[in-house]
Amino acid sequence: MANIILSLHEASRTVNSGSNKVTILDDINLQVEEGEFISLMGPSGSGKSTLLNCIGMLDAFTDGEYAFLGQSVHRMKEKDRSKLYKEYIGFVFQAYHLIDELKVYENIETPLLYKGVKASERKAMVADMLDRFGVVGKKDLFPQQLSGGQQQLVGIMRALIGSPKLILADEPTGNLNSKQSTEIMELFAELNKEGATIIQATHSENNAAYGSRIVNLLDGKIVSQ
Amino acid sequence: MIFTHFKIGFRNIIKNKAFFSLNAGGLTIGFTAVLLISLWVYSELSYNSSLTNYNNIAAVMQHQNWGDEVRTYTGQPMQLAPVLREEYGNHFKHVATSARAREYNVKYNNEMLRVEGRFAEPDLAHMLDLKILAGSRDALQDITSVLISESTAKNIFGVEDPMGKVITINNNMEVKVAGIYEDLRNNTSFTDLNFIAPFELLKKTNDYDSRLGWGNYWFQVYVQLNDKNALENAAMAIKGIFTEKYTERNKERNYRLFLFPMSKWHLYSDFENGVSVGGRITYVKTFGIIGLFILLLACINYMNLSTAHALKRGKEVGVRKTLGSSKRQLVFQFFTESFLIILFAFGVALILTTVLLPAFNTLTLKEVAIPFASPLFWLICLVLIGITAVLSSLYPSFYLSAFKPVKVLKGLKTNNKTAVSLRKGLIVLQFAISSILIIGTITVVGQINHAKNRPLGFDKDLLVSVPIRTDKVLQSIDAIKNELLTSKYIAQVTASDVRITSTYTTNGGDFDWRNKDPKMEPEFYTIRATEGFGKMIDWNILEGRDFSAKFPSDSLAFLVNETAVDYMSLENPVGEYVRWGDNGTYKIIGVVENMVTRSPFDPDVPSLYILHKGRFLNWVNIKIASGNTNVVEGALDKMKEVFQKYNPENLFYYTFIDEEYERKFNAEQRIAKLVAIFALVAIFISCLGVLGLSTYMAIQRKKEIGIRKVLGASIRTIWKLLSKQFIVLVLIALVIAIPLGYYFSLQWLQEYSYRMTLNIWIFIGAGAIVLGISLITVSFQAIKAAIANPVNSLRTE
Repeated sequence: MANIILSLHEASRTVNSGSNKVTILDDINLQVEEGEFISLMGPSGSGKSTLLNCIGMLDAFTDGEYAFLGQSVHRMKEKDRSKLYKEYIGFVFQAYHLIDELKVYENIETPLLYKGVKASERKAMVADMLDRFGVVGKKDLFPQQLSGGQQQLVGIMRALIGSPKLILADEPTGNLNSKQSTEIMELFAELNKEGATIIQATHSENNAAYGSRIVNLLDGKIVSQ
Repeated sequence: MIFTHFKIGFRNIIKNKAFFSLNAGGLTIGFTAVLLISLWVYSELSYNSSLTNYNNIAAVMQHQNWGDEVRTYTGQPMQLAPVLREEYGNHFKHVATSARAREYNVKYNNEMLRVEGRFAEPDLAHMLDLKILAGSRDALQDITSVLISESTAKNIFGVEDPMGKVITINNNMEVKVAGIYEDLRNNTSFTDLNFIAPFELLKKTNDYDSRLGWGNYWFQVYVQLNDKNALENAAMAIKGIFTEKYTERNKERNYRLFLFPMSKWHLYSDFENGVSVGGRITYVKTFGIIGLFILLLACINYMNLSTAHALKRGKEVGVRKTLGSSKRQLVFQFFTESFLIILFAFGVALILTTVLLPAFNTLTLKEVAIPFASPLFWLICLVLIGITAVLSSLYPSFYLSAFKPVKVLKGLKTNNKTAVSLRKGLIVLQFAISSILIIGTITVVGQINHAKNRPLGFDKDLLVSVPIRTDKVLQSIDAIKNELLTSKYIAQVTASDVRITSTYTTNGGDFDWRNKDPKMEPEFYTIRATEGFGKMIDWNILEGRDFSAKFPSDSLAFLVNETAVDYMSLENPVGEYVRWGDNGTYKIIGVVENMVTRSPFDPDVPSLYILHKGRFLNWVNIKIASGNTNVVEGALDKMKEVFQKYNPENLFYYTFIDEEYERKFNAEQRIAKLVAIFALVAIFISCLGVLGLSTYMAIQRKKEIGIRKVLGASIRTIWKLLSKQFIVLVLIALVIAIPLGYYFSLQWLQEYSYRMTLNIWIFIGAGAIVLGISLITVSFQAIKAAIANPVNSLRTE
């Protein structure tokens, strides 16, 4: 049996909106194994993004248990949690979220800076990455000079550079046209085949089909998996 | 990593030029103001400190009792120094009597120059540690020698060798140059000491030995202590010398000598009732505080703009956090960026200061230079930059780094309530400080105008005074007068002992009149003048009559001013008699309206006008006839001709009374200008901040404005909507500033006897100025936002 990357047990998230308690995630039970490509589906407001953020430790569950690589995340301090996701998780966003003031090369390099990788090593790693995706010629451009698909490609490269155990993608093709979408999804499928574990949130059945497993959410609950 | 931070910082600057200009511009102006003020303050604090014996030199001063009042004098009799040397020599390394510094006529080879210098005892040269370039420092032991400064040597002798050459001082003292010393540094009490001539020569020439006693405290006595800690002891030892030596003294005066150390001469020169009450130090403190305030304003600006700018940086913070940045790394990044801007602003400020310094020096009458070579200067700069960095950037850095990635990445508005209210509070603080400075400016300017509008009591126009320098002039007054009056340009000529704008001669003690309070020790200001003086200055006689040649008895008559009538408690002054010691009994023949005869800020003083001829007259006063063209030139030509005939030895010198009067406002006018400039700087910086904030406010509310416009809001209502909140803040600032401004203005005005009353208009005026300026600033953005096409603003969402 493959290694279990993370497991959720009765995980919930509630927030106070005024005097009302609103439940955004309700008793989520989920196990993700290494090498899986999971698609989270559901209508707007069903809790896809929140679940992704909570798994990515950008947000926290308010109840239940969350174990990542066997460690109980919900008992961790903020600092240790950030250490954990810095090490093992890569993020890809719908709006790419590249840093506008940095060139392509520098954007990809940033996570390595925060990991404290040495300069010579960084250079080699970024060069490899640029080479692998065939964008060496664009390394000195700023994000605004790229098309949406190219920007998302940079976003993915930035997520991959730290060799994460898990890639979280929130509507990665939401801002792209269908041709670009297909390219990006095929890239994800390929990465998955090479061994990357991916969780994506998506609206699109087409995109979801690239995954190995589909989890449907409605009103904060998993309705099928 | 730090290189990356600098790179990002630099790219951010390029990208947000407007924001950067506002931010760095505010800081630059703040730094420049602070640098200028610091240089000025440093120069004031280090006054005299370039003198080698700065810590050991003291002036001998004295307190005297005058009724209930203690008066403090700098003057000493010439008999004092010998006593100090002979009987108290163990306390002092050097003792020197010096006549007060003044300008003298110096003649060499028939060339005449006005040179400021002193007659002093030989020890002065040692105390000042004069650097001798030629000759000997001890030369003053010889009564026929003189020491001159290097620059004076050049002025008098040009390329000739000055050593051994004979110069004549004031036509009656011949001395030969026996030493040349390096000019004393700027910024000392002795900076204009261009020559030192032997005090003994002055004594001999003027026959002081037979004329002056302990009661003539005309001179200054300086001492150099063996050890600066010995000051108290030495002062205690010499305290009672007058009691011991001055046998004919008035016992009630209770003369007490004390030592006033050089370090206090410049900044603590004011005494009230025998106690040092400060002096220029007040200005040093005031401007120091203003400097700190301006720095604070610039920092606040920076803080406000940076936190507002956070709207734009929020996304970056979110992304960086998801990429694994810790909060500390982000704080460090933003701090580095700020530091870059601060460093840049400081560099520009240094350049700006260098450029502005000459103008600033002209304004403050200083010769300050930026001490680029001094390590202390750079240390202070470093501290200044450090303080600014901490004050301005620490909060924004933490504020930015605390953003939650999930929220900012979702594009949620990152305007938390504490940040907004903090920003508002800081704006209130900025405008409160600016308002206080503006109230201060209006008060200072108002007070000057108040004094300028003070009724003078005489006509100062077209009045010229020429000093009487020689006995020959004194004896030829009538002839000079007649010759001058032959000119059609000259209307009247009189002579007097003082100029009407500077009546500082007092006579005390021996006055008596009917019903005088026996306990009173009266003291009057006296003005002696020849006949026609009153008519010439056009004084107003309220009662009685002017002096007249028709009454020979007028040589024993007074005219008194209104204040003197009150002072003597006379009900019907005209016809009363006043006995004045041995001088005789004088009849009061008239009462003159009060005249401003000293500083326009001083109270009126009891004054006696005396008809007088002969000795004591120091000035010839000339009224130029009005009406003709070129009267002034014509009259001056005539005067020059006549005075050079009667006084060929001296350069013709004259002063216009109206100019003399104008000069009395110089000190206040300088302060008014400085306060006004710094108030302007303050309000300018505050406005930069408001401009920046209103810009961001407009960006933030773009959608709201668009929707309102679609729903039919007019430009005016949107302008009102955006301006209102700033105006409310400015109003709150005014509510805080007005009581404080009132308090500070009142404190400042207390220093003047003749002062204006603070009326409500000063505060209404200041409020209107502040409100007006801020309204214009805010409207600039508000209107721009209001006229924008709503289609564009709504599409961006």
